[in-house]
Amino acid sequence: MKVGLFIPCYINAVYPQVGVASYKLLTSLGVDVDYPLNQTCCGQPMANGGFEKDATRLAEQMEDLFKRYDYVVGPSASCVVFVKEHYPTLLRKEEHACLSNRIYEICEFLHDVLKVNKLDAYFPHKVSVHNSCHGLRLLHLGSPSELVEPRRSTLKDLLSLVEGIEVFEPKRVDECCGFGGLFSIEEAATSVCMGQDKVRDHISTGAEYITGADSSCLMHMEGIIRREKLPIRTKHIVEILASQKV
Amino acid sequence: MSSHAKAAKKFIADRERTAWHDQALYFVREKRDRMAHGVPEWEALRKTASRMKKHTISNLAYYLEMFERNATANGAHVHWAKDAEEHNRIVYDIIQRHGGKHLIKSKSMLSEECGLTPYLEERGVEAVESDLGERIMQFMGTPPSHIVLPAIHVKREEVGKVFEKELHTEPGNSDPTYLTHAARKALRQNFLNADIAMTGVNFAVASSGAFVVCTNEGNADMGTSFPKVHIAIMGMEKVVPDYDALALYVRLLARSATGQPSTTYTSHYKKPVEGQEMHIVIVDNGRSDILGNPDHVNMLKCLRCGSCINTCPVYRRTGGYSYSYFIPGPIGINLGMLRSPEKYSGNVSACTLCHSCSNVCPAKIDLAEQIYKWRQQLDPLHLASSEKKFIVKGLKLVMEHPAMFYSAIKAGRLAEKMPRFVLYNSLDAWGIGRELPDFAPETFNEMWKKGEVK
Amino acid sequence: MSSRDEILARLKQNAIKPEPRPEADFQPLTFTNPVEQFQKILQVAGANSVLLEKGEDVNEIIRKTYPEAKTIASNLPGINCATVNPDLLEDPRELNGTDVAVIRGEFGVLENGMVWIKQQTRHKALFFISEALVILLNRDNLVNNMHEAYARPGFDDYGYGCFIAGPSKTADIEQALVIGAHGARSVTVILE
Repeated sequence: MKVGLFIPCYINAVYPQVGVASYKLLTSLGVDVDYPLNQTCCGQPMANGGFEKDATRLAEQMEDLFKRYDYVVGPSASCVVFVKEHYPTLLRKEEHACLSNRIYEICEFLHDVLKVNKLDAYFPHKVSVHNSCHGLRLLHLGSPSELVEPRRSTLKDLLSLVEGIEVFEPKRVDECCGFGGLFSIEEAATSVCMGQDKVRDHISTGAEYITGADSSCLMHMEGIIRREKLPIRTKHIVEILASQKV
Repeated sequence: MSSHAKAAKKFIADRERTAWHDQALYFVREKRDRMAHGVPEWEALRKTASRMKKHTISNLAYYLEMFERNATANGAHVHWAKDAEEHNRIVYDIIQRHGGKHLIKSKSMLSEECGLTPYLEERGVEAVESDLGERIMQFMGTPPSHIVLPAIHVKREEVGKVFEKELHTEPGNSDPTYLTHAARKALRQNFLNADIAMTGVNFAVASSGAFVVCTNEGNADMGTSFPKVHIAIMGMEKVVPDYDALALYVRLLARSATGQPSTTYTSHYKKPVEGQEMHIVIVDNGRSDILGNPDHVNMLKCLRCGSCINTCPVYRRTGGYSYSYFIPGPIGINLGMLRSPEKYSGNVSACTLCHSCSNVCPAKIDLAEQIYKWRQQLDPLHLASSEKKFIVKGLKLVMEHPAMFYSAIKAGRLAEKMPRFVLYNSLDAWGIGRELPDFAPETFNEMWKKGEVK
Repeated sequence: MSSRDEILARLKQNAIKPEPRPEADFQPLTFTNPVEQFQKILQVAGANSVLLEKGEDVNEIIRKTYPEAKTIASNLPGINCATVNPDLLEDPRELNGTDVAVIRGEFGVLENGMVWIKQQTRHKALFFISEALVILLNRDNLVNNMHEAYARPGFDDYGYGCFIAGPSKTADIEQALVIGAHGARSVTVILE
């Protein structure tokens, strides 16, 4: 099984440690991981902003980069689901390298494909889970609070395998944090307001870290935390799953 | 900045009020959740309701004609209006024919859509809103900010003040019970004195010719109990095939709208009572165009329950008036664009694509997906924001060329700044309440190349 | 061409592919203990309920429930506590000021506390204008849900009918629930 690691642009530039943790985690589970060089962006920011066509070239590049792998795995729910759902339209074909049965968000891959039930992970901290909208409502990493279906959570299942961790969730368990791609700039006042509300909800759990499967939400909330010097930090879930006793 | 973003910024400037508004609406959303979770078959019910709507709108002419035939046989007069103007004229003609001066109205979004009240008032007909929330807004001289909860943005003290002036309530008394009962007393006279009654229509049952009006206050029924004329106005999409279909929607409507198992009054009007005339006005006003629009035809499934508005995290924090269309939230963004992209494209930015709206919609309308589609239309319609376009074109150029992407990061790292296409206007926006992220010393790409990823 | 024909022509011109009518593929809510459930859900809707025991007089219950009532309107046989027969009034406006109206419900719905009321009096105003509403209902006439309600034989046999679930209410001022918006401030369902 050959996995191509899909590293979204902002993880590449701002959070490379999330990529490193993804690599470590997957290889520790016996997966053959490769990183096709010179990845940039999947095109989601353009498309969600209303310029889907401007993502076509990027889709073609992704297609080219990933065609030789059995699976495409990335540590970003939002980017993964964009590729999965919109590339068929952009590329005008159903069959493509990042086809829906080959591309996975990393937690989804661990949980549903590798069916991991044991991890050698240690993280003796309180964390509050950030159930991101695209992770939950598009990628189905858990059950959204507004749907009447059995409660489940891929993220919480995986975190329960970590030694020493205490897992919490905010009161508004899956309220949007207000990032929304270009929304964060175009509707900055609303975006910041939503982010402040969300961070406060996470803080009220008593957690030391906000964790989730989307670095974009975390980046937005981190910006608020740093601006207001709030007593909480952000950490991508793979960094926690890859943490070990020193 | 989009019209919504501008208005939203103003609303949010009062953080306390924003938090209050957000909480009030989130409370309604939570009530809705509790109701939905009390019905184990909820998702199957939504699915069937959605498919039943699709079935109905794919046979719309058939069901409307059936409804007309049966309603006429029941003794009602059925009228058809192509647009708002014709709707207003038909209503006014009926009123005039009966020498009506005092119209008592229950809440109708269609009358709001058609601008009926100002039309009638210009012609000397007084139109009194009988729903409490609508009456408050009428006293305040401002439109409703929500389709189900018209005065949700108004604080009790503000209601107290306006009632003090209009209904001579005790100065400083803003107790909701006291104020509601004061309105009850005053409106009772309006009910008794009205010569024409108007209601909206929640559902029109084709197989029977009956129509259904749902209220909690009983104002529709009270209103239709005294005048000799009852005018019911309905958008064409309100028709349902039969009672079996109606059952689906009655189960979903109140649970979705206000988080109640049902509205207090679910009134079925079939035949005019002795001595009364019953008129039904079926209104198109753009609905037949929506039918011909495959990307947005699902909007015709809307029950006007408002649950997408209540769940919308953007609406909750920005209030109904930040939208330029008279219906706010996800439903309003979409209906506004169907009405006129030129006039209402300023609302399309008011969405993070969180998709909660699509999940709560009792008719499973793909609300978020449709907003995404509208965004794609803005540039072809020459309505896209030039700032956003500049950012996107810059992004596209850089992202399509990996060498440029990685050297831009390097340059940014040295200058401790984002590249110009990101900086242009947007850095300020990001910086309003957030620190910019720092670039890492090395990109993942560089680390991989150097063999540092182990 | 009339507006009607124009609209219908446009609908036909813009018609989408006909979708078949869906079959409901779910089991709707049902309840094992109907009377208990109904009393519970009536409470949720803000209504009182009374189980009429054998030998009890409904008039006594009405009197006991509304001791202050001066005008009690009803056209039902056996309601001898009634002070007014509403059917003798020419103008429904004369009903303004009625303290209690006593009417008959056809059936109740267990999932939401609704009672189906068909117009049975000369003026339907009676159901809404009275300060309190007493609904007499046969406790055997309870259906589980709206599907069953609308499927009852002869349901469509009415000129005007209303499902009533408890007293008139509103939450239009700051979402604070207030009983008694325009209609009855109190509803009592007597289960016979």
